[in-house]
Amino acid sequence: MNKLILLSAVTTAVILSPTTQANDLNINGFLSVGVSMLDNNKVTLEGYDTTGNFKNDTILGLQISKQVNDKTTVTGQLVSRGTDEYSTESAWAYASYAVSDDLDVRLGRIRVPFFYYSDFLEVGYAYDWVRPPSEVYSVPFSSIDGTDLNYRFSLGDWDNSIQVYYGRYSRAGSGVDLKNFAGLALTTATGDLTLRASYHRLEIETDGTGSFGTANAGAAAVINSTLRTVLNPTSNAALDANIDQAVADFTLTGQELGFYGLAAGYDNGDFSAIAEYTQSFSASPFFPTVTTNLIKVGKRFNEFVGHLTYASTENELDSGLDGNIQKALGFEDKQNSIIAGLRYDYDTSTALKFEVQQHDEEIVGGAKGKSAMLYTVAIDLVF
Amino acid sequence: MINIKKTLTALLLVTASVITSAEIAVIVGSSNGNGSLDKATISKIFLGKSKSFPDGAQAVPIDQNDGTAAREAFNSSVLGKSASQLKSYWSRLIFTGKGTPPKQSADDAAVKALVSNNPNTIGYIDAGSVDSSVKVVFKF
Repeated sequence: MNKLILLSAVTTAVILSPTTQANDLNINGFLSVGVSMLDNNKVTLEGYDTTGNFKNDTILGLQISKQVNDKTTVTGQLVSRGTDEYSTESAWAYASYAVSDDLDVRLGRIRVPFFYYSDFLEVGYAYDWVRPPSEVYSVPFSSIDGTDLNYRFSLGDWDNSIQVYYGRYSRAGSGVDLKNFAGLALTTATGDLTLRASYHRLEIETDGTGSFGTANAGAAAVINSTLRTVLNPTSNAALDANIDQAVADFTLTGQELGFYGLAAGYDNGDFSAIAEYTQSFSASPFFPTVTTNLIKVGKRFNEFVGHLTYASTENELDSGLDGNIQKALGFEDKQNSIIAGLRYDYDTSTALKFEVQQHDEEIVGGAKGKSAMLYTVAIDLVF
Repeated sequence: MINIKKTLTALLLVTASVITSAEIAVIVGSSNGNGSLDKATISKIFLGKSKSFPDGAQAVPIDQNDGTAAREAFNSSVLGKSASQLKSYWSRLIFTGKGTPPKQSADDAAVKALVSNNPNTIGYIDAGSVDSSVKVVFKF
């Protein structure tokens, strides 16, 4: 019997070793398919309408990583999104070099760590929602080309990590070039508690094309033509000079944008909670200060997780002439959502999700808005 | 022939583990320099938060396959997480390149074979399967 076990053990080891080596090429993937429907068309929730929408929450991701040598790993993540007509983008594409057990350097395309859930934003399986609330999670440029450092260390019972990055966002057709894009994210965790703080900054340039550039050029044109006559009907020279200055301030090129986020998460396996607060700001009145926050609680019942979230976003306008222009351009905005959802872990790689979201546009485009309910059923897989 | 022996052994082992106590032993190679380890240290190694043993040697965790009795006991008693929570934990790391889950091995015999051959590895098996080729660092 002992001999038999030994023989078997050796056989198993021999059979196993080639697999272990082949495992150095890791292929992982995720797929989310969602169907959602709004109960009325009076609000603008990007891409959703009163007819079943199958594309908005549908994402396929495929990641291949290969350990090239002891220190270096190459990773590529291709993501195909329903919102982009399933065109494929490299969300991540980098080489990672392990300087030590605690320090990694990455070079290539990396995800900007704006939020608590930034790193796995599109991996629906990794969180309870169908999608992170758009009130908070709405930064349009998510990946940059550049480099980052990840350093991990422990202090007593606290496990800490520091991520510092530097890079640039420039994509054909985007109309913007975001330079000196840099920031840092600090995370500390002990037991069931995780705390996070991050700061980011960039310099923006636009060539007047793409959605940003067109909007920016449009704003300048409106200030110059329509608003100038409204704000300065008597063509007062001093006021005219102020309006000239305002047009220059509203022009994005050369402007600096900043962002910071704070978050706290708790999860004891049974009860979970997360609170997140972000603020983005700029010297340019074209970007009013945007403050967002969310709070979510969740309770696990065996394979089920019930959760409830409140999320909100509000634009804070400048004072004086810039503020008046912002108001006239319809920059006033205040929205919130209440999300109630149920996640069911069908097995260890499949989750089924049901969600009801009440979206309330308190002020949108400077006017009082409407509210609507959004119903979603989604399935998330990792493989 | 080998396959038949293997199947037979596997069957015997399964039967043995059902009959004997469900106590699980966390094991390292007999030449590993560490005496006993506490739950927190083992948990850190298996969650990828620590890449070395307390004596500084590199630590390579070996899991058992999903669904085995030992794996489920280890998940709940040492890591304090359900299989779904662990999947969610690893999916947060895998897709950011910040970590990869431990390699998986079929059963007690396979884990023991790997651990006894490599002093850097750490695994867990039914306490009844422990022999002199490995060293027990924790039991639960």
